[in-house]
Amino acid sequence: MGTEEAHDDHGHHLPAVEDWPRGFGEASWWPFVTAIGAAGIYAGAGLYILSRGDNAIVGSLVGPAAFVASIGIFLAGLYGWVYHAFVSHFWSRDASEKGANKLRWGMVAFLGSELGTFGALFGYYFYIRAGDWSEVLVGVPELTGSLVLINTAILIVSSVTLHWAHGAIRNNDRKKFLGWLAATLLLGVIFIGGQVYEYYEFIIHEEFTLVSGLFGSAFYGLTGLHGLHVSLGAVLLGIVFVRALAGQYSAERHVSVSTASMYWHFVDVVWVFLVVVLYVGAEIGTGAF
Amino acid sequence: MQVNGQLALTVLMGIFLVAVAAWLARIENWRSYTPLAGGGGAFGQSEGYVSKEKPAGLIRWLTTVDHKDIGILYGAFALVSFAVGGLMVVLMRVELADPGMTLISNTFYNSLLTSHGITMLFLFGTPIIAAFSNYFVPLLVDADDMAFPRINAIAFWLLPPAALLIWAGFFPIPDVIPAQTAWTMYTPLSGGVGNGNQMNAGVDLMLLGLHLSGVSATMGAINFIATIFTERAEEVTWANLDIFSWTILTQSGLILFAFPLLGSAILMLLLDRNFGTAFFINGGDPILWQHLFWFFGHPEVYILVLPPMGIVSYVLPRFSGRRLFGFKFVVYSTLAIGVLSFGVWAHHMFATGIDPRLRASFMAVSLAIAIPSAVKTFNWITTMWNGNVRLTTPMLYCIGFVSNFIIGGVTGVFLASIPIDLVLHDTYYVVGHFHYIVMGAIAFAGFAGIYYWFPIYTGRMYQQTLGKAHFWLSMVGTNVTFFAMILLGYGGMPRRYATYLPEFATLHQVATLGALILLVGQIIFVWNFVQSWLEGPVVEDGDPWNLKDEGLYTAEWQWYDRKIKTALADGGEEEEALTDGGQPAVESDDSN
Repeated sequence: MGTEEAHDDHGHHLPAVEDWPRGFGEASWWPFVTAIGAAGIYAGAGLYILSRGDNAIVGSLVGPAAFVASIGIFLAGLYGWVYHAFVSHFWSRDASEKGANKLRWGMVAFLGSELGTFGALFGYYFYIRAGDWSEVLVGVPELTGSLVLINTAILIVSSVTLHWAHGAIRNNDRKKFLGWLAATLLLGVIFIGGQVYEYYEFIIHEEFTLVSGLFGSAFYGLTGLHGLHVSLGAVLLGIVFVRALAGQYSAERHVSVSTASMYWHFVDVVWVFLVVVLYVGAEIGTGAF
Repeated sequence: MQVNGQLALTVLMGIFLVAVAAWLARIENWRSYTPLAGGGGAFGQSEGYVSKEKPAGLIRWLTTVDHKDIGILYGAFALVSFAVGGLMVVLMRVELADPGMTLISNTFYNSLLTSHGITMLFLFGTPIIAAFSNYFVPLLVDADDMAFPRINAIAFWLLPPAALLIWAGFFPIPDVIPAQTAWTMYTPLSGGVGNGNQMNAGVDLMLLGLHLSGVSATMGAINFIATIFTERAEEVTWANLDIFSWTILTQSGLILFAFPLLGSAILMLLLDRNFGTAFFINGGDPILWQHLFWFFGHPEVYILVLPPMGIVSYVLPRFSGRRLFGFKFVVYSTLAIGVLSFGVWAHHMFATGIDPRLRASFMAVSLAIAIPSAVKTFNWITTMWNGNVRLTTPMLYCIGFVSNFIIGGVTGVFLASIPIDLVLHDTYYVVGHFHYIVMGAIAFAGFAGIYYWFPIYTGRMYQQTLGKAHFWLSMVGTNVTFFAMILLGYGGMPRRYATYLPEFATLHQVATLGALILLVGQIIFVWNFVQSWLEGPVVEDGDPWNLKDEGLYTAEWQWYDRKIKTALADGGEEEEALTDGGQPAVESDDSN
């Protein structure tokens, strides 16, 4: 993460390339700032819980305010971190195969941890699915409508367009790269919009909510967790897109395109599995099919 | 004329020397705010990219991304947590010296019980391992640093806020009381159901803190996996990767799947408590919590014990004068334990009334996991067999580890058997069993590492007599305390209670005596640790344990030797070195 080397920025001029505060060797404030923000998010959640109930200790707005402010600090920390570690010296940074490998392994390991994150909720779902299902599946709206099928198709197509975008930058075809990346991002946003619309339909019109019993918890738990992941994926692709617009990436330098793609494809695969077991699997064998 | 020339030359030389001294003083500056010799990035050892000295004082520690500094931060955090968790249990043991409720209230006892467990496992156990792995894995695999130095830093900085949230119930916040759920946080109690007081926000804060500590552990694990896979020097192959790095790699793999799963389960519990979802309560099945918790919890046991086994496998041969016996099989058994550890969780749930067929399969796998553990034990014993054993303090701790691990392991094999478990499950037998592992083995290996590598991270040597006193008090204290607990369990004393029937008084008093012996031992440790770090004899020798004689010299001491040689230029510490001769604390008594 050498931020101290002289940089040859290929004629692309970026603002504020000096690390803040002026670094001492490799030392950096960014992890500390980011950690303060992350800790504040938890503290904000704690304050929110303290503000609930009859004898609340703190005002009802303190928690949400601390939460939002901490997210701000967290994002500022991440921004400074990513900017100074990866963006500002993009063209002069070490781009050896070893460095790229390290980042890819980091993403692979992170995706492994995601299996655990999703595992608990899928575990819950399988646990109740194996139980007396006819009693659980009460008051649940029809799940496998055209909306979820269209949304699934959109997400799968977005994986394909992202793959093309990745292929384009490997061939140094910047125009196609930008085009397919923009298409992917757009499809991702449409998917999120579709999910929000489904929530709206279920909650407002069907009165099927988070607290509608066992299946409600499983449905909103799993789709909510997945929705958060798609949103994070869209943010990652958004960062890649902005950097691409600023002229970064080439056939030799595209590690973050690779890692963001790995994440996006992973989230896509989880979605397909989720549709099969949660949407279709909930109704299979119950007479709904 | 000649005289003038000499004079000019002398003046020039003087100016030059002053310049050199000033330059050295600038480099040396970073040492003046801390007496330790660790974190010598400025000497341009393996970190070729360090171009400027580190900042001074507090800012150095807040901004550091040096794996050695972060290792020291982890170590300091872990030892503070060890003290907190230890003092909590001393209070509990003193309360238990008498059958009735005398010193503290039953509810406060329950709170201490909960926090002692969580503090020791999440805030001491995992971080003390991270201390060693951060400091030594990059040195052992000859990497410049961790794969992601900044992620390494943020992973540490998430821990202190996590600790504050976990302990928040003890702070004077109105209407907030500490959690009394025990460290397993079983639902429905932890769901706040019923007329109890566990709906209190103290439980929520603890859950939030636990989640944060899990995020920290997961980030660390990702970092170690990437480091060991991609940052090894070319000459460090899979075939000659050291045993400690192997255990850290396996442990990181376990963390990768176990901690995020616990994280999700904790979030589900928080949703149940605060938003009325039906994951574990409100119509959900409380037993599912136990499944998810122990799916994390049993790998967590190996997350905590594998790296200490790695330390013992690494240190014990150095003082046996032999290479580790059956190195390959120690590696294979590590991997086998890593895989099997995900298939044993329901042995914690034999008494919950789960399906008997399920029980039988978990019993079989639980018995099977004893095999790789036994492979390791026999390999340690055969390593010492006919070896040139030197009973230094780290070696004593390694032998203590093996001894306690045998008792803790064998009592565990009995517990894996369903009929025995049904009798002993809710008794002190279980408490005695797992404390033989967590205190008798894990903490002992931690001490072995602390003493063995003391010269590397402090540049000084500890006091041998105090080290040995610490060992013997710990060894005697551990066995007195926890063997009494095993006997209490056979007698039928149920666990988790603040009060008990008078017939258990004698054994409880023995256990309390043992705990106080342990306390005395740890006070001696703290004194030895702090005093030696500040004023101990400076180690000038890159081989303080005389490992070269036996051909057992290793990479981290080579690094240390290089560091000392590079630092020789300053010459400012020779005076101190003379005070104690800088003699390596190695005994010559052979005991074979």
